[in-house]
Amino acid sequence: MLQTQTLSAVERPNIYCETLGPEQFGIIQKPLTLAEKIYNQVWLRKIGILVFLALGWEIYGRWLDNPLLVPPFSAAVSALMTDVANGTIPLRAWASIQVLMIGFASGTLLAGLLTVFAISSKLGTDFLDTMTAMFNPLPAIALLPLALIWFGLGSGSLVFVLIHSVMWAVSLNMLAGFRGVSTTARKVGRNYNLTGLSFVARILIPAAFPSILAGLKIGWAFAWRTLIAAELVFGVSSGKGGLGWYIFESKNQLNIAEVFAGLLTIIMIGLAVENVVFRVIEKRTVQRWGMQS
Amino acid sequence: MFPQADRQLCGNPPNLRPDIGTQRLSRKDKKTTRAPGGRNKLMMSGTTVASQSAVAGVAERKETAGRGRVSNDSAAGQPLLDVRGVTIQYKTQAHLVTATYRVSFSVLQGDRFVVVGPSGCGKSTLLKAVGGYLAPTEGEIRLKGELITKPGPDRIMVFQEFDQLLPWMTVLENVVFPLKTTGTLSGKAAIARAMHYIEKVKLAEFANSYPHTLSGGMKQRVAIARGMAMEPDILLMDEPFAALDALTRTRMQDELLSLWDETRFTVLFVTHSIPEAIKLGSRILLLSPHPGQVKAEINSVPRGQENSSEAAALGREIHDMLFADQIEEAPHVANANALGG
Repeated sequence: MLQTQTLSAVERPNIYCETLGPEQFGIIQKPLTLAEKIYNQVWLRKIGILVFLALGWEIYGRWLDNPLLVPPFSAAVSALMTDVANGTIPLRAWASIQVLMIGFASGTLLAGLLTVFAISSKLGTDFLDTMTAMFNPLPAIALLPLALIWFGLGSGSLVFVLIHSVMWAVSLNMLAGFRGVSTTARKVGRNYNLTGLSFVARILIPAAFPSILAGLKIGWAFAWRTLIAAELVFGVSSGKGGLGWYIFESKNQLNIAEVFAGLLTIIMIGLAVENVVFRVIEKRTVQRWGMQS
Repeated sequence: MFPQADRQLCGNPPNLRPDIGTQRLSRKDKKTTRAPGGRNKLMMSGTTVASQSAVAGVAERKETAGRGRVSNDSAAGQPLLDVRGVTIQYKTQAHLVTATYRVSFSVLQGDRFVVVGPSGCGKSTLLKAVGGYLAPTEGEIRLKGELITKPGPDRIMVFQEFDQLLPWMTVLENVVFPLKTTGTLSGKAAIARAMHYIEKVKLAEFANSYPHTLSGGMKQRVAIARGMAMEPDILLMDEPFAALDALTRTRMQDELLSLWDETRFTVLFVTHSIPEAIKLGSRILLLSPHPGQVKAEINSVPRGQENSSEAAALGREIHDMLFADQIEEAPHVANANALGG
C-alpha cells in the first residue's frame, strides 16, 4: 500500500506551458538621475580629483607664503604659461623629445634584433636571458659616468643610456610574447611556407603584439625618466638643454615656480604619450583584433 | 571476442576496393614472410593479422596503380596520397612513445577519407605527419608520388582550435593571406578567389569582420574557406568540429558535404566520432588504440544514408572492432596533442 503510494507520487504528467511573447512585457527601466549620470563618467571623476589636488596645493602655498619652498599652484601655472608663450618650454621639450626618440627607436630596434636572434637558436635564448638578467636591474643612470667618459658631454651619452634603459625591458617582453604565440598559429604559418624573417614579420610579431606593446610602454616610461634624470646631471648638449636642464637652471636661479612648471610639463608629456599615442595604437590594433579587452 | 567481423573483413573482397589484384594472396604471403620478427610479437591476436592482410592488399593496389601510371590506363586508381608503413615515435620528458605502428593507406582523388579511432590512437599525430609537421620514424608518406618532408601549401590543414584564424586580420584578409604569401594569386585575383569561397561558406556579409566577433562555427567555416581557397591537393582536417556544440556540428557536417558536392575536393578527415565518420566519409580507416595500427579500411554507406539501418549496422561493426581490445588508457595523450610547433 505504502509502496504503490510512493510509486504513484513519482509518476508525474507531462506539463506544457504557453510562453508570453516579448511584446507582452512592459520594458522595466528607469532613467538615471543627472547626478548619477555625471558621477558615472570616469574622466569627470578624474578631473574632480585633479581640481581637488590643485586647490589643496593653492591653499597650502598661500598659507605657507614662501615661494622659495612651495609657490602656489597659480604661480606655477602662470610661470608655465609665460614660458610656453615665450617659447622656452616648447624648445626645451622638443630638445628632450628629439633625443628621446633617437634613443627609444634605436633601443627598440636593437631589442627586436636581439629577440629574433634569441628565438632562432638556443644559444641566442641563453644570451638574451643572461644579458637581461644582468642589465635589466641596472639603472641606466648608473651608466652615465661611464657614458660621459666614452661619448663625452653630448647627446651621444644620453642616447647610450636611453638605449640601455629601453632595450632590456622591450626585449624581455618581446621574447615572452614570441614564446606565448600559440602552436596553432605557428603551424598555420608553416603551412603557408612562411619561414625565417617572413615568419617573424607575418606571424610572430602580430601574434605577440599585445606583449610587444606592453614592452614598448614600459620602455617609454623608463626612457623618459632616464632622460630627465640624465639631463639633470649634466644637461646641456651642444648648446640647447632639455627639460631636465630647464629645471636645473630654474632651481639655480631660485625660480621655484619655473621648476614646478618644468615638472608639470614632464607630467603632461608623459600623460599625453600614455593616453593619446599608446591608447590610439591599442585601439587600432590589439583591441580591434580582440586580443585585449 | 569479435572474430567474426574481422574474418569477414579479410575474407570478403566487397569491403576492400575492387581494384585489388587477383594475385593478392601470394603477394600477401610474401609480405607477411618479409615482416621482421619483432612484428610477429605484435601480431598475436587474430584481429591484427586481419588488418595486416588488409594492409597488404592495399599495398598490392598501390603497385598496380604504379604500373598504371606508366601505361596511363588507370588514372582514377592512382593514389593521391600514399601512406606506407608509417611508424611515428616521439619523445616526452620520460618516455619514447610510439603513436602509430606501420600504418598504411592510400587516398584517391576525390576521396572523403576519414581516419577514426579512440583518443590516443595517434590519428592526429598521423595527420600531423601527413601535414609535414613531424617525420615518421619508419615508412614514408607520398603526395602525388613526392615524399613529404615539410609543411607546404599543397596540403592545407584545418585545425580544431579556433585560434587558427589570425586575429589581426579580417575574414577576407585571413582567406587572402595564404594566397598571397605562397604566391598562388595576387591582387584582385586573390580577393576574387577568396570572396568566392567565403560566399560558398555563406559568410559574405562577415568578410570585413574580425575573427573575435564570430561564433565558433563561423570561425571554422572561415578556416575551411581559407583551406579551400588555396585549392590544395588535399585538405587535412583535424577534428575541426569537435569543439562545436552538437547542433552546429551537424549543420557544419551538412555544409561540408554540400561543399564537397560542388567542388569534389579530396579531404583527409580525422575524428573520434563514429557517426561523423559514417556521415562524412566515403572511405573509413579504423585505427586501434595506442599505438595506432590499421584495424580495417572500409567503405562507408552511400551519401545521405547516414540514418539508414545499414549505417547503424556499420556503426555497430566499427564500434565492435574499435572496442574489441581492452582499451588501455594512453598516458601520453595530452603530450601527443602538444606536438609540433
